[in-house]
Amino acid sequence: MQVPLSEVLTLSSVALLVSTFGVVVRRGFAGWLSAYRYQSVVLAGSTAVIAYATGLWEIYAAAILTLVVKAIVIPRLLVRVTESVKDEFKIEANPYVSIRLSLLISALLVALSYGVIHETLISANLDVYALTYLPVSVSLFFIGLFVMVSRRMALNQVVGLLIIENGLFLFTTALTQGVSLIIEVGILADILVGVMISALLLLRMSQTFDSFDMVSLESLKDD
Amino acid sequence: MALWSTILADLTAGASPSAWSELILTVLLTPAVALAAVTLTHRKRPAEIITVASVVLVVLQTFGLVAGVISKGQFSALGGFLYLDAFGALVLIPIAGVGFVAALYSVSYMGRQYERGVVDDRHIVRYYQGFNCFVLTMLLVPLANNMGLMWVAIEATTLVSVFMIMLYTNQGPMEAAWKYLIVATVGLSLALLGIVLFTYSNTAVSPSAVASGSGMDWTSMSADAKLLDPGIVKIAFVFVLVGLGTKAGLAPMHTWLPDAHGEAPTPVSALLSGVLLNCAIYGVLRFYIVASGTLGAALPSELMIILGLLSMGIAAASIFFQKDMKRMLAYSSVEHMGIVSLAVGFGGFIGLFAAMLHIVNHAVAKPLMFFASGTVSQRYETKVMTEIKGVVKTMPVTGAFLLVGGLAIAGMPPFNIFLSEFLVLTSGFGTGQFLAGSLMILLLVVVFAGFLRHLVPMVFGSPKGPGRAVTADSRPGEDGAGKLAILPMAILVALVIVLGFYIPQPLQTLIRDAVQVFGQGAPP
Repeated sequence: MQVPLSEVLTLSSVALLVSTFGVVVRRGFAGWLSAYRYQSVVLAGSTAVIAYATGLWEIYAAAILTLVVKAIVIPRLLVRVTESVKDEFKIEANPYVSIRLSLLISALLVALSYGVIHETLISANLDVYALTYLPVSVSLFFIGLFVMVSRRMALNQVVGLLIIENGLFLFTTALTQGVSLIIEVGILADILVGVMISALLLLRMSQTFDSFDMVSLESLKDD
Repeated sequence: MALWSTILADLTAGASPSAWSELILTVLLTPAVALAAVTLTHRKRPAEIITVASVVLVVLQTFGLVAGVISKGQFSALGGFLYLDAFGALVLIPIAGVGFVAALYSVSYMGRQYERGVVDDRHIVRYYQGFNCFVLTMLLVPLANNMGLMWVAIEATTLVSVFMIMLYTNQGPMEAAWKYLIVATVGLSLALLGIVLFTYSNTAVSPSAVASGSGMDWTSMSADAKLLDPGIVKIAFVFVLVGLGTKAGLAPMHTWLPDAHGEAPTPVSALLSGVLLNCAIYGVLRFYIVASGTLGAALPSELMIILGLLSMGIAAASIFFQKDMKRMLAYSSVEHMGIVSLAVGFGGFIGLFAAMLHIVNHAVAKPLMFFASGTVSQRYETKVMTEIKGVVKTMPVTGAFLLVGGLAIAGMPPFNIFLSEFLVLTSGFGTGQFLAGSLMILLLVVVFAGFLRHLVPMVFGSPKGPGRAVTADSRPGEDGAGKLAILPMAILVALVIVLGFYIPQPLQTLIRDAVQVFGQGAPP
């Protein structure tokens, strides 16, 4: 059975956006992580589609790396590090922006992304992958940023950052058919080390501070 | 001058191009080997010796690379993956030089923290591992031709420096490390978006770049600059400017900087302020060159001027009302990065010359100030400036260094910073930017007043407070700072004074060549 390419592209875009909304609507850390894991699996699939269409082995390799690092290693690492952290530090009970309003804003951000890409890259000769995936990748970027600023928990900032990185990866792959593999590996290594360091910091902060609340992180200022 | 040219000619006569490529690789290998050696020996003393030896070797190899750039122009390694021209070499000098003095100072500063029981053996080893890793990642920035590699290197500098700030597990450093990690990483994500857009617009017009896989190389982008799609380049440059500008401490993206520079161990603060900011602004300027090739210099220059003035303005106000000594120095770094940005925005030969010179001058004066203030706050056991009085009486040598460094950083003649600031102003008024030039003078006056307001009581006030000035290991009138703390400061003081009167011929040549890389403005 032959599945038309355009439907595969549309389906994977929808799946990516759904997973991002999953992060927006959930309050608990476990929920965010499973949404992120799901997003990374779909991302690896989308990368494989681009690899199949372009026939470049380097993009296949990037897809496999994405699957291994983002869908397996990073979620496990975060779960292990936060094991000892009390549950009340992992649940966003009182975000700056309510969940309902967050959902609405995220939907607007998706619309904005489609508008931005069609406005700015209209002059460029984009292929079908770029046309489908670029607005999605910019949506991930915007929603990731929004998640970072709208929540109180420090853990949420890591999740927001990871969504931003996923958006970046999709943007890079869709627009330039992947920069060379060695750079992709370098970027992935940076993300991995960054997550490790932030996890280490979180662990230490959970021992020193009373909470992961961003309000408790405002002692340094000019006075 | 003739002597220098002869030495340079002798040095470079026998060397083939491949020798320079090998030197690029060995200068990167040196700190990597040192990192491995520190990890293997895993003890305090060997770690100190290995680190100092490593930075000495880096300095020597940097001299070689600079000599090579002056005689050969530019060269690359690993099939164009790495590349060095005069602009890169100019940024390489502070990395090696400040790396050297910071390593010497580390032995004294961290040694004293060790004696006081603030850190233990494990921390010390971790510190020197981080130090070598930090030097390695910073060296990679000006040596990378592939802009993706440069991004990876800059992001790696963030991670290593966060790791080094986390050495202390108090609340302040951890909060600073967290803010730094999050803000810088988000900023760099924006920068990567911009870099990918630059790459895309380059591969779209240059089939040869696609075929050879060099679409991400700076040499390829700058060669094709005139052909790139202006619409895309405009967006891409704004992304890179905001993203790398965050890392360079340009306002309004500077919010993480005073925390991180204020809470890091002092030698690391010196590296962060004196070197890492240069690496980030270097990245901005590489894309400034490409963008002004595509769009013309007008729009990119305007953006640089606006960000420059904004940085100077925010820094001036914060310096004036500051209480914490290290935070004041951190804001001063925001100010000086603003001046570099402003100088590039003014443009022309003098503006760019001044920008390059200011990068070097700031890298000399700021570490001096961090070292002096670190030694002083170890003695007084506080960073609050109103509690530090009469340093020149309690610590005569360090007090004098603090005074010279403070006057220099505030822009007092005849020290080096004055010279480059004067050149920036000359270029501003020379290119008809009267409003920006006048604002710059005004802000410089505020900074100067702010610095003197804090500096004079600290240096000349009468020492007060029982036990504050006289600690167990030192008496009034005896400096108390170890030889290894005095030596790096003395080197920097000498440079601050000498560079105020005269720029050595090789440095002048290098800066001239670096200005040529920008491709605008012939020398007068």
